[in-house]
Formats: sequence, structure tokens, C-alpha cells
Amino acid sequence: MKRGFRPGAVERFFRMLAGKSSPVVPSPPPSGPLASYPDVASWDHWEEFDALAWPRRDKKTYALVPTICFNCEAACGLLAYVDKSTWKIRRFEGNPMHPGSRGRNCAKGPATINQINDPERILQPLRRAGKRGEGKWRAVSWDEALDEIAGRIRVAFLEKRHNEIMYHVGRPGHERAMERVMRGWGIDGHNSHTNVCSSSARLGYQLWCGSDRPSPDHANARFILLLSSHLETGHYFNPHAQRIIEAKMAGAKIAVMDPRLSNTASMADYWMPTRPGTEAAVLLAIARIILCDDLFDREFVRRWVNWEEYLRAEHPDASVDFDVFVEKARALYGRFTTHFAEAESGVPAATIEEVARGIAAAGPAFAAHVWRGAASGNVGGWQVSRALQLVSVLVGAVGTKGGTSPAGWNKLSPALFAEPPAQRFWNELLFPREWPLAHYEMSFLLPHFLKEKRGRLEVYFTRVYNPVWTNPDGFTWIEALSDEAMVGCHVALTPTWNETTIFADFILPMGHAGERHDVQSQETHAGTWISFRQPVLRAARERAGHPTQYTYETNPGEVWEEDEFWIELSWRIDPDGALGVRKWFESPYRKGEKVTVDEYYRWLFENSVPGLPETAAKENLTPLEYMRRYGAFEVKRDTYDLHETILAPDDVRDSEVDPKSGVIARSGAPTGVMIDGVPRRGFATPSRRLEFYSPTTAEWGWQEAAVPGYTTSHVHARGIDEKKGELVLVPTFRLPTMIHTRSANSKWLSEISHRNPLLIHTSDAERLGIVNGDLVRVTTEIGFSVNRAWVTEGIRPGVVACSHHMGRWRLTDDGGSRWGTAKVTIERTGDGVWKMRQAEGIRPFKSADADSERIWWRDAGVHQNLTFPVHPDPVSGMHCWHQKVTVTKALKDDRYGDVQVDTKRSMEVYREWLALTRPAPGPGGLRRPLWLARPVRPAPETFVIRD
Amino acid sequence: MNYGFVIDNRKCIGCHACTVACKAEHDVPIGVNRTWVKTIEKGTFPDTRRYFSVMRCNHCADAPCVTICPVTALFTRDDGIVDFDPARCIGCKACIQGCPYDAIYIDPRSGTAGKCNYCAHRVEVGLEPPCVVVCPEHAIIPGDLDDPETEIAHIVKREEVTVRKPEKGTIPKVFYVGADFASLVPSAAPLSGTYVTSEGREPGVTPRRPAPATGNDGGLLAIAPLRAATAAIATAEAAPARRIYDAGQTHQGSWGWKVSAYLWTKSIAAGLMLVLPFIEGWSSPAHDSTLRLTAIAIALGFLAATGILLVADLKRPSRFLWVITRPQWRSWLTRGAYILMFFGLGVTGLAAAELAGAERLRAILIWAVAVLGAGTAVYTAFLFWQSKGRDLWQSPLLPLHLLVQAGAAGVAVMLLVAVAVPPISGQALGDLVTWLQRALGVHVLLALMELYATHQTKDASTAAQWARTGARFHVLAWGVVVLGAAAPIALLAVANTGAILAAGALGLIGLALWEHLYVQAGQKVALS
Repeated sequence: MKRGFRPGAVERFFRMLAGKSSPVVPSPPPSGPLASYPDVASWDHWEEFDALAWPRRDKKTYALVPTICFNCEAACGLLAYVDKSTWKIRRFEGNPMHPGSRGRNCAKGPATINQINDPERILQPLRRAGKRGEGKWRAVSWDEALDEIAGRIRVAFLEKRHNEIMYHVGRPGHERAMERVMRGWGIDGHNSHTNVCSSSARLGYQLWCGSDRPSPDHANARFILLLSSHLETGHYFNPHAQRIIEAKMAGAKIAVMDPRLSNTASMADYWMPTRPGTEAAVLLAIARIILCDDLFDREFVRRWVNWEEYLRAEHPDASVDFDVFVEKARALYGRFTTHFAEAESGVPAATIEEVARGIAAAGPAFAAHVWRGAASGNVGGWQVSRALQLVSVLVGAVGTKGGTSPAGWNKLSPALFAEPPAQRFWNELLFPREWPLAHYEMSFLLPHFLKEKRGRLEVYFTRVYNPVWTNPDGFTWIEALSDEAMVGCHVALTPTWNETTIFADFILPMGHAGERHDVQSQETHAGTWISFRQPVLRAARERAGHPTQYTYETNPGEVWEEDEFWIELSWRIDPDGALGVRKWFESPYRKGEKVTVDEYYRWLFENSVPGLPETAAKENLTPLEYMRRYGAFEVKRDTYDLHETILAPDDVRDSEVDPKSGVIARSGAPTGVMIDGVPRRGFATPSRRLEFYSPTTAEWGWQEAAVPGYTTSHVHARGIDEKKGELVLVPTFRLPTMIHTRSANSKWLSEISHRNPLLIHTSDAERLGIVNGDLVRVTTEIGFSVNRAWVTEGIRPGVVACSHHMGRWRLTDDGGSRWGTAKVTIERTGDGVWKMRQAEGIRPFKSADADSERIWWRDAGVHQNLTFPVHPDPVSGMHCWHQKVTVTKALKDDRYGDVQVDTKRSMEVYREWLALTRPAPGPGGLRRPLWLARPVRPAPETFVIRD
Repeated sequence: MNYGFVIDNRKCIGCHACTVACKAEHDVPIGVNRTWVKTIEKGTFPDTRRYFSVMRCNHCADAPCVTICPVTALFTRDDGIVDFDPARCIGCKACIQGCPYDAIYIDPRSGTAGKCNYCAHRVEVGLEPPCVVVCPEHAIIPGDLDDPETEIAHIVKREEVTVRKPEKGTIPKVFYVGADFASLVPSAAPLSGTYVTSEGREPGVTPRRPAPATGNDGGLLAIAPLRAATAAIATAEAAPARRIYDAGQTHQGSWGWKVSAYLWTKSIAAGLMLVLPFIEGWSSPAHDSTLRLTAIAIALGFLAATGILLVADLKRPSRFLWVITRPQWRSWLTRGAYILMFFGLGVTGLAAAELAGAERLRAILIWAVAVLGAGTAVYTAFLFWQSKGRDLWQSPLLPLHLLVQAGAAGVAVMLLVAVAVPPISGQALGDLVTWLQRALGVHVLLALMELYATHQTKDASTAAQWARTGARFHVLAWGVVVLGAAAPIALLAVANTGAILAAGALGLIGLALWEHLYVQAGQKVALS
């Protein structure tokens, strides 16, 4: 077999004349089936041919080091190919040992190498040199940054200003580590992005089953109903997309509810393009069919739903009998006929009927998921997940093979060494009393709270978080962050430039995937795994016998990692241990000494991952060595029906059984429930059952929403006047190639995706006199943006949509990644109106990467989020993203990318929504129900309002 | 062994992971792709659907890029992989014309051809290509088509598969399952100026030059509608589907003005030598000799220009000799280079014989050179026929047309020479005038047939339509037909010196315009 070509006679003749020999035809390669990955045994020393030299057969030697992706939340495995001659990362592939991602990735996995080699990345700690927001920086040492920040925090702690220290995280992926740091410091300072992301969906799930995320077993489902676009984004894109398509190929039917033709909707058997905000009506119509036509799983519902509690509360005169419940439930949802649902949603009654019957036929193998989408778009979005879960419950598809389990079953939350006690502070900037049921921190209202003088911040950490760009009402964020009276010192921990770093005092460069430590576990399927993110160059060098003290020694420039940063910072806050902080950062193995990152993970893997030490021992590895080699460990698989687990006699000893509810509790904490006389584990709700009726909701002021229901959205059709050019804007959808504002630094991803036109249906465009490509003005309650129209049949008439990610900007030539940002000017007129205009689009630029001169696109997209006022859901606290907008052809002076916002008006809108809340105290004078989860939960006594 | 791919469109979710994994493996520069995911949308709300189709080299069993490559830079391995060697590539871009699938680009760093090579370097160490490994859906299935036990063989045997453009006879080995017709047939979803997440790209083998920094919307996006106008030939037609993402068409315009100009210069050189045997006894023997020598000198000049243009058009001009020293004999580019070389030698020999007064040698050489001139004129037709990506160029009229064009060009130049170096007999002048009138007449007839006759394929007719519409219509009507043919024919009827000079010059300009129009039109069709 020849592999190349055989030079012809003429070539041989001329080569002979030139005195050169002709190329030798090499011997044939061994043939056989191709493998996806080199065998793990060869990961220390893997030889392959250099693709760039091919067909010259240049051998290269690599160390293969597993880590996990840091783009989306799915935590897919990556495998770094580290060149052993240069100690540089050649590329990233997937980690075949990872049970969630199984060696496969989306585009963002292999794109990680761009992020690491990005010539625009921040390589040193930077300190503000001019005024805040001016964009002038000077490089400083880690020591200078640490000392300054630690000094400020120390003074705040000494002066008991604990609530002035706040850590605000965008992408977590830092499993429990920050909880430990915050508690080690004794503060209530953990803030997150969740209320602009998923907290409405979470609250709905939480109220049903005491676990705020669903874990659908897509692979084994016979019918899949998706309200979010899980084949392109979402929790958890790649792992879920694999399993959804697996099920499809095995014959499962897929239905997708989305007003926009997402890639997911396109792949579905049923696309149900609902009017935004009407999804719950459709779901309740499905539930009604299942209830009224006796298609529900009678035994499951009887045994596991808290219907008795419902009857006692809502129908005290009725007898507590299951058939009575069925009758009442049928009456409750009687108005949700398919015709009503069609009138509300626009989805044909026949389709709803067909989907309902498909779901019923699938029975326990019905998987369902809503994550963002409708739940994040609309007021009352948490009732969307309540309604969806109702369908799962009715067909008995909870905890089953092919059904949907509570996430807690499939996620490992590892214990860490020497866990500090719960903090004794309650920070009302995080959980103000107006939102007692807020599922996560009221993070996106932080600048509004600061402007209302509800508090101030001495040190404000943003980590991998870009509120100025991502959150609604970004100009109000700019106002707050620019004011040193509101924010004393803003420290941005970030692997990339972003719009928020512009308003920082310190920019501290942190690692991407493969440049830092972390563990992650996600409920991607019916199984539990834990995976290990590690700095791959450090790991490769250590494997080769070169020990490293700090990760920045092997990372590019002085890029560091969070774990070591927090240890070092904590140590400097409390150098002598007098504040009680230092002790939590001392080694569990060397008394009184600073813990190292190796010791931190050594303890975790030795003590918190069931089965890992034994598995590692079989290979003569320590648990840490095992994780450094394999990068992931499967803890459990096929986790089904855990609620049915019968409690062992030991588990029920010293417990009390409530005679009415059957709840088994030990010293007040529920541990199980009696089901037909058998003590079973149940669910993590107060009733240990699935809470169709949520007493919590009722007791905390929302009696009318105690059962799954249909909330009229703030963008419901009756409030939209199409004659005036009003439409509903769906601004939330993500692209499979991007992750929020952290991926524009990947040249390969930006090349594929760099614009976000306004998607508008042909009929709406015709009515408004708009043709494809026209410049249009999109006006919200507080301002407008100017974009291009993309006229399409892939969206419901009456709805416009614009994707997330694009419209990135920078103010200066250097302070922002030029791969994906437009240079803009921002000005504020005398009357407080902010105006942004793009001065130049994306341009080729000179850099160490010659590709930057080959940039061929100019469009950076349009930043729409700036024009959205805050819409905090009065119950879940979630920002309700959908907007009522007016779309017109652009005016004469409008230019592409223009944004204008009146922040006085945005404060008014904030107050309008604030007025919808029903504040604490609730029962017992509490700020919040004690049973309801809260991130970094403080000590119980702080739940009581004492002023 | 016979490697191929199955692309399973029932599973592909359009995530672009394969695109990026490929870029990572080969460090493929910004602006070009070895594989990408074309996306189309069809239907009307709510019956709307989107299809994702992975585009890449088909590793054809009868690969036209391998056939046309003059230097064996592209070659088919015994395991069925169509691989390439940048170290042998001269950057002639013939492979880009040869490939009907838009799979080949010129790497802006090396100036050499690049494409999917099935990651042969990985296959040889037993690894799948990274596009296969990364795919979340296992929608790209590699393997040996000849081994009946492989997954790919099972799919190809059991499922309904299709390939891109089977009519090209290339025997593609990328099989699609569940692909929509509009995904695979380029004309079914026309090119668009902009796509939903991406600006469209101007056609061209090299990435677009930077736009002027105008600083406002004009600089940012006003270019989009303009580009739409130039790129979308078929948008006016009712299309079954809409192309909403694409990264292809790097083939467009890969042969630019230098190729058109080379056709013209060689046409003149060849045409002069075709005319030469007929210059006997026009005036005195000495004067005839002067006329011949003048013609030979001009022919050599144009031949030199031809060579310079050909070399200059190479992306790796310093490697131009490899066409001669490393010939791949099936390529008409190689054969043409040899024809040009022997033609040049023949013309030089003829000049020497003429100067030396070696009458018998001259008598032989003059006919030999005429035959070689005919070859020089006509061989490009065979090269164009090897350009399987260019439907317009598959015309059976092409050899005849090239011969006629050469004749017209030769006569036009000869006429100019005759007028410039008088005297010649009125009879001879009359002959030349008649020949030129006839040649231009036949040429314009053939040109109009090329563009207005019914075409065998949709793509050929799209290319012809491009040449007939917009600004090109004026080039065709005024430049090629009126000024390039009708006017000279009329002027020649007047037959005074000034009119003859004008007619010859106009005829030559018209021929040049035609070459450019025809060469460009052939490249204007979407191939992916």
C-alpha cells in the first residue's frame, strides 16, 4: 500500500540532474479500527505526527492531562495535549473518562485553546491609574494587590462592617469553595448571577420536590418535553444533547415549546411556538387531559403527592379522600381546555392534545426540562416549572428510568476539610425583606439598593461576572460602580476583559479551564460523577518531576487561580489569627501552616468522594493522583426511585412520626415519610412528598399561587397593541457557539458568530414596512437600541427576538478584547440620559497571533440588555427578561449599535415592580422560611427579623 | 482500505464543534475552513425547519483535484484518503476549479492549497479525526467502506444515503443520511449577503482586505446590502430554502484577471503562428520575411507575457518550474505547460531558421509551430473541462471557440503588423480583412451561444445568467458584441488604414473582455 505518491520518471530524472534522491515511499501503516482517544496507559508519553508538518512524518510527544471546560456550566471533560518539548498546550480534546460528557464536546471545548493563547488577555494584575472607569491601568505585583485588598477587608472586619464585603460570582464552577471562604471570613457576602439566569425555574422545582433543579434521564425517555433549548445551550448543553438525540434515535418523540425556532425546536417532532408567557396554560391543558381522561398514574399520585395537605387547606369541608382530590383537581384545571390554551398560546389545540397523549403513553419514561426560556422571561415564571413538574408527577415520571429526578440525587456536594460554622450576619443587600421567597440573591438590584442607600460596599469582588453588560439596566450599574461612596474598592477577578472590568480598581487575571483547580459535579443524567479541573501545565510538569508552588508559575504571564488567591488573601486578612479567620486556611495535615492547594484537594478526594479511595488504591494511586490522572470519577449510576428507599431501623430510631402527615423527623428535621405504613426516604420537602400544594407559598402571602397555576405574564397579548408597533421581545436566547460574554476571545467562535440581528416575522415586518437588513429602532420602557432586522419565518408573529452574547464594547483600544468588541463612546446628557454610539466596529489588528490581521468581519452586534429595566418577580426575585417593545424603522440620525437609556426612568420601573412584592416577616417573624434553601445559609437566628 | 464519512443529519444539531475541532487540529487560519456547517431554513411559520449539513472534502474515488493538480501535490492514498502536500504545491489554484464541492482553499500563510485530509496523520497512529471525536451526537461516522463489519458500511448499506452532486462522476465518499435536498444542492438555497449570526463573506481565495475605518454605520454595515447584490445571483428566483449560515465559496474568483489575461496573450501568440503559414507571396520575399519575423517577435513577446502571467498567478511563483520538473501527466495544466514550452521552442527555432535563411527547416517548422499554436490555443479547453467545479466551462464549443478566438486575435495583430510594415498586396490585405471579419463573426456567435443557449445544468445557466445581467450585460453587449465585433466588422468594410487599425485594436479589446467575462462567470456559482 502506498501512502504518498510515486514520483514519475520525469521528476526522478530532474532530481537526478539536481543530484537529489527521489522521495522514498514509506512502508504501510498498521491498519485497524480507529480509536477516539489514546489509551490512558499512554497518557504520560503519547507520540503522534505533527499535523502542521504533514505529510512529513514529524513525531511529537505529548503528556495528556485531563481537566474540565470552563465555558458553560456543564463541566464537560477536556483533555489537554501538552507538548513535552515546549511545555505548551497544543490543543484540547474531550476527556473520555468523564461520565457526563463522555469524551465529546461542543464547539466551546476545543475553542479553549484560543482563550488560553488569546493575545488580548490580561497577563498581570492591573491597578487603576486614572479615575474609575477611565480605562487607565498600571501593572502591579500580586503582593501589592493582596496587601491592599486584605488591608481594607481587615479594617472592615475590625470595625464590624462585615456586610460591606461582597463576592459576586458569574460563572460558579467553584463547588462549595467560596461558601467555605465566606464562612471562614464569617460574612454573609456571597452574591451570584442566578436571579438573571434560572431562579424562577429553580423555585418552581424547589417548591415541588425540595431540589431546585431537574435531572431528566433523557437517554431512556420515550417522550421528551423541553421548554428550553437543550440541543444548543442551557443546563447542560453537550451532555443533554447527546442523550436527547440518543433517545430520539431510539424512537422517543420530542416536543419543544419556544416562540422562536431554536435549533432544538427544529430537531423536535413537535414545535409548539407559544406566545411568550402562555406556556403554563398549555402545560395545564396537558395536565387537564391527563387528569380528566384518567391517563395519570393513580398509585404514584396517591402515594407521593401531598394531596391530603391540599384538601385540608383548600377544601376543609371535603373528606380527605383521594377520589375527592382527583375530582377537585379536575375542577381546578377545568378551565384549561385545549381551546383555551390555543386561544392563549396560539398553539393548535390538536397539537396540545397529541402531545398530551404522547406524554401519557410514555408514562414514567417522560423526561421534561425547563431551565431559562419561559421561566426566565415572564413574571410568574416559577409557575411554568411548577406546571411542567405537575405533568411529570401526574404520569408518575419522577425519579424513574426515562423520567425526571430531583437534581440532588445525581449531584455530589463534597464536604471540605474543617468546615467553618454558618455566619451570624444577614446581608439585606442580598436578601432584602421584600422578597422573602427570593430563590437566590437579589443580585441584579444591587446598584438600585446602593442608590437607595440601603448599604455600601467597602470591597466588592466580581468574579467571572459582567453585570454592566449582562444584567438589565447596565447604565445604573455604571452609575453605582463609578461612585466610590457606594463601592469603596472593586476587585474584578476574571480570565478576560469585560465591560465591568472597566469600572474596577483592581483587575486580577484568573485562569481559564486548564489553568486552575476546581471540582464540579452536575446532574447530567441518572448517575453521579465528580470531575476535577486542574492547571494542566502545572500537572504535566509535576508529573514529569518538576514541583510547582503556585499555579501562576506555569500559567501564561502571572495569571493565577482562585483557590490559591483566596488562601493567600485570607491569610493576609488575619496574619496572626486574632480575627479567627486564619485557622480555616491552615493545613489539615500540617498544623498551623498555610494549606496548599494539593492538600485541599487531597483531603476532599480522600474523605468526600464515596468509592474513590478504593478505586484509586486498586491502581496503586492516591485519590488525588487518581483524579490528576483521570480527571473524573463516577460515584453512582442508574440512580432511580430513591424516594422509595425504605428507611433502615437505625434511620428511624429516636424519630417521631407525625400522625397526620406521616412525616418522620428526628429532632425537628424531617428524614422520611410513612407511605402506606412503610417508612420511606421521600423527597426533601417539609412534607417529604411532592408538594402539589405549597404551604410555604400560601403562608408567605401567595395563597392564590399555592398550587401550580397560570400567571398572566407582563408581556401577555392583552397588554400588547400591535397597531402601535408593539411586540414582545425575547432577548434571552443563547447560541451554541458562545457563552455569555466570555467567549468572544475565541477567534474561531467569533468567526462563526458575531452579530445578533432582530428576528422578526415576515408578516410583522411587512406591517411595519421593514425589509430584511433594515436598520430598526427597538424601544423599551427606558430607552432604545438600533439594530438590523432579520426577517424570518422562524418566529411566531407578534414576537421579536435578539440573541444574547453580542454587542460587546470597549472604550479604549487596549482595555477590551478586539476580537469581539466595538469601540464605543458613552456620554451622559445634562438630563441624565445615557447615550452609547459605536465609533468603530471590529477591525483586524496586529498581535502575536497573525490571525488577528485576518479578521474579516466588522459587525460586533448590538448591546440590547442596557435598554432593559429591572423586572424582579415579586416571588422568586428572578429578573423577568421579556420586554414589551416598539419596533420602528430607524430614525434619520440613528446609527447601527446606538443605545440610549434614561436611568431615572429605570429607577421608576424598579419601584413599580418593588411595589408588587409582599414583604417579610412571614410566620414566626422570619425573613424567610427556614426549610427553604439559601446559598451560604446563615445561622438560624439570623432568619428572625429583630428590628 | 477505503475511508469515507457518513454525516447523519438526523442527529446533527448544528453546534459547529466539528468546525472548531478541525481548526484546532490543523490551526486553520481565520477566513478559511476545512469543514463547516452550512445551515438552511425552509418553510413558513409554523411549518418551519432548519437543516444543518457538514460540508467538507468528499475524498472522491475519482478526485478531480488530484487529476488536475499539475505537480501531484494532491494525491489519493491507497486507503482512499485524498491527501495533499503543501511542500509540493505551487499555488496554481487549479484544484479549486477542479473541485465541485468548494472543499479546497489557499492557506493565507503558505500560499498553498489546503482541505480536509481525513487527518491522515491521526489515522496513521490509530486515531479518529477530531471532528468525529468531538461531535456530541456521533453524527460524523468515519471508517472503512470496504470492510462490511464497520459502522459506516452498515449505515451505507442499510440507510438511505445520498451524496453531493453525484452527476459529477467523482464518486464522493461522504454520505449523508437524512439530508434535505436544499442542504446539498447549492442552488436550492441561494447565497446571501449576510447570515443570521455572521456577516457574509466576499468571495475570494484570500481573506478580505480591511475596510476603510469610517467609524460609523456606513463603515460597519452599509457594505452588507452591496455585498448581497454582488453575491446573490439567484435571489430573485423563488428558492425552496434560505441559507442562514455558511462559510463557503472561497473558490469564487480564485482565478482572477491574470488568468483572463493569460488566455488573451497566449491566444495572440498562438493565433499569429496559425496565420503565419498563409503569409506567402504577399509582397517581396524579403518583405514577407520581415513580416514573418515581426509576427514571430510579437508572438514571442506575448508568449513571454503569457509565461509571466502564469507564474505571477501562482501563489508560490518560485515553484513554477515544478510544473515541468515534477509533471503530473493527467493534468492539462502540465500538458499545457509542456505545449507552451514546445511552442516557445518551436517559435524560437522558427525565428532562427528565418534569420539563418534555412528555408527547408523553416518550411517544416512553420507548420509544426502552427500545429503547436493550435494546441496552445485549444489545450485550455481541456483544462477547463477538468475544472469540474465550473459547469459553464464544460461547453463542447470550447475548443472550437478558443481556436476561433486565437485565429481572430492572430489575424487582428497580423493586420496591425501589415498596416504598420507596408507594403503588402491588396489581395493579402483583403484576405486578412475577410478572415478577421469571419473570425470575429464566428467568435461572437459562439460567445452568444455560450451564454444564451440552453445549458445542461442549473449551475451553468446560473453562471451564464450572471454574465448576462447587471453591469456585465453592458460589458457583453457593448464591449464584446458591439465594440469588440460589430464595430470592427463594419470598420473593416471601410478598409482604410485608420479604420483597420481601429478595427484590429477594438477586436483585441473585445476578445480580452470576453475572456475575462467568461472566466469570471464560470466561478460565480455557489458550489456548496
